[in-house]
Amino acid sequence: METTKTLNSAVLDVRNISVSFGGVKPVQDVSFTIKENSFTSVIGPNGAGKTSLFNLLSGMNKVSSGEIIFMGEAIQSIHAHKIAQKGLVRTFQGAKVIRRLTVAENLMMAVQDNPGDKLMGFLNPRARKSFEAKAREEAMRRLDQVGLTKFADEYAGILSGGQRKLLDLSRALMADPKMLLLDEPFAGVNPTLVEKLLTVLAALRKEQSITFLLIEHDLETVMNISDRVIVMADGKIIADGLPNSIYENDVVIDAYLGSRRKDA
Amino acid sequence: MEAFIQPGFWIFVLALAGIYGIFSLGLQIQYGVGGIMNFGHVGMMAVSGYTIAVLVIKYEWSFWWAALVGVILAAFLGALLGLTTLRLSGDYFAIASIAFAEIVRYWILNTDNVTGGTQGTLAIPSPNGFASYTDKPDLILTWISDRLYPIIGDEASRDLSMVLIVWPFFGLFIWLSSRLQKTSWARVLRATREDDDVPRSLGKNVFRFRLQTLIIGSVFGGLAGVFWSVQFALLAPEDFLRIVTFYGWMILILAGATRVKGLFVAAIFFGFLYGATRFLEFWPLSLLSSPERAYLRVFLIGLVIVLLMVKRPQGLFGKRQEMILE
Repeated sequence: METTKTLNSAVLDVRNISVSFGGVKPVQDVSFTIKENSFTSVIGPNGAGKTSLFNLLSGMNKVSSGEIIFMGEAIQSIHAHKIAQKGLVRTFQGAKVIRRLTVAENLMMAVQDNPGDKLMGFLNPRARKSFEAKAREEAMRRLDQVGLTKFADEYAGILSGGQRKLLDLSRALMADPKMLLLDEPFAGVNPTLVEKLLTVLAALRKEQSITFLLIEHDLETVMNISDRVIVMADGKIIADGLPNSIYENDVVIDAYLGSRRKDA
Repeated sequence: MEAFIQPGFWIFVLALAGIYGIFSLGLQIQYGVGGIMNFGHVGMMAVSGYTIAVLVIKYEWSFWWAALVGVILAAFLGALLGLTTLRLSGDYFAIASIAFAEIVRYWILNTDNVTGGTQGTLAIPSPNGFASYTDKPDLILTWISDRLYPIIGDEASRDLSMVLIVWPFFGLFIWLSSRLQKTSWARVLRATREDDDVPRSLGKNVFRFRLQTLIIGSVFGGLAGVFWSVQFALLAPEDFLRIVTFYGWMILILAGATRVKGLFVAAIFFGFLYGATRFLEFWPLSLLSSPERAYLRVFLIGLVIVLLMVKRPQGLFGKRQEMILE
């Protein structure tokens, strides 16, 4: 992989965050810092707390303790939609598309600061329509990138699982993120599409300055694209470093890769 | 059976159907676009209707100002309902909304000195002893029938004048609502109908969209209450039973919840069903007593809703795909 871009300031600073639901503690005292324009993968077995971590970062759940600093601002107690507006955008495990909106509409609804999203915008049809035309243009460009152009005006509900993943990723990009949280974008996707998604992500890294944080089961899938890998198990970070160092880390092999090899 | 072919009866039904149509516009934007199941919609109509009656009779307001306040109050109650219960999801909200409409009705029923209680608006205490509130709109209705009389003679009735007022307004409201449903605001709302997390993760305040929708729907409910209050010229608590909400739902399901323009035809179709069920007097139904037959209407309307849901979930005009995609 190409050498990482300038890794200067921290985009995301996670400080000792924990969450508990009753007796269950999916995330315990997790801290890490993500640098601008970096690509970090969070790996770990099922139940390691990866998605719970994402739910905290995106504000879908609130931390029990600790702080989350995004671009210099504490976000651990603000609403999920406000966090997204600040540029921290997530996708979901299993690619949630809005089935009864068309593919193009799925993308267009993600655009930020749309005057037509406000009820008062109804009274200003000119501003609304010119914005809408631009949104449509951008949506078509994004669809072209992932090869979904021919489905633009079909309901998203007819798309296959793999196509939904592509749509989900494109939609998150429409929201103009500074940082993108991708929750298992490769799960349940055939190898050809995994390659395609990786190509799309690599291209994005070159074209746009987006910081990536990605959840994945399988270390090998993200070996090449990641600058850094964080390994979680039982709600804690057990290793953190360059992909190669993780591969050779004994703790990781014991806690995670070892057990996986036995399964396989 | 004679009444069946009398135009006067059907003109009354048509006026009523138009009012129910306006009423169902509120449900359409709430459920068809926003996915909000409101089973307490009748409460909004009751509030605006009664506000008019009380303000005009008891406080001698002008009908027009009273109507404006009535609609604003309906919108306000929509906001109140939303702020208190909209965080409940789906079915739970539906149940809370039924309770809301019943609270409104019981309040009317038990506040005799303001609303007239069980005796209806006729019993509202009035400074001049005259419990009527439709003088102002009646001037317009009379003006219209006076113009029609030379042309169509005795068929120029108050009901016909109502039809000529209600239906253009119904058309106008449909047009406004359909314009609104073409905006990106409505697109986000359609997304919230399926999923909360996706719009939230894209920076959309789902609660705001739902609350706005509930308020807009309540405004339509309030507007229907204005026309209702004029049409009947007196109101009673039993005008606003739960069944009224479900008549609105029936029109909505007939039309196809996502197709606002279908309401125009669906309201006429509903009017026909509603009116025609009065004439189910032939054998074997003639074996039933007339109060028993009255329940047939409710039964038949329920049957139509069930059949539609099974055979044509998209209604008469909706897109099937939009209703069944998983």
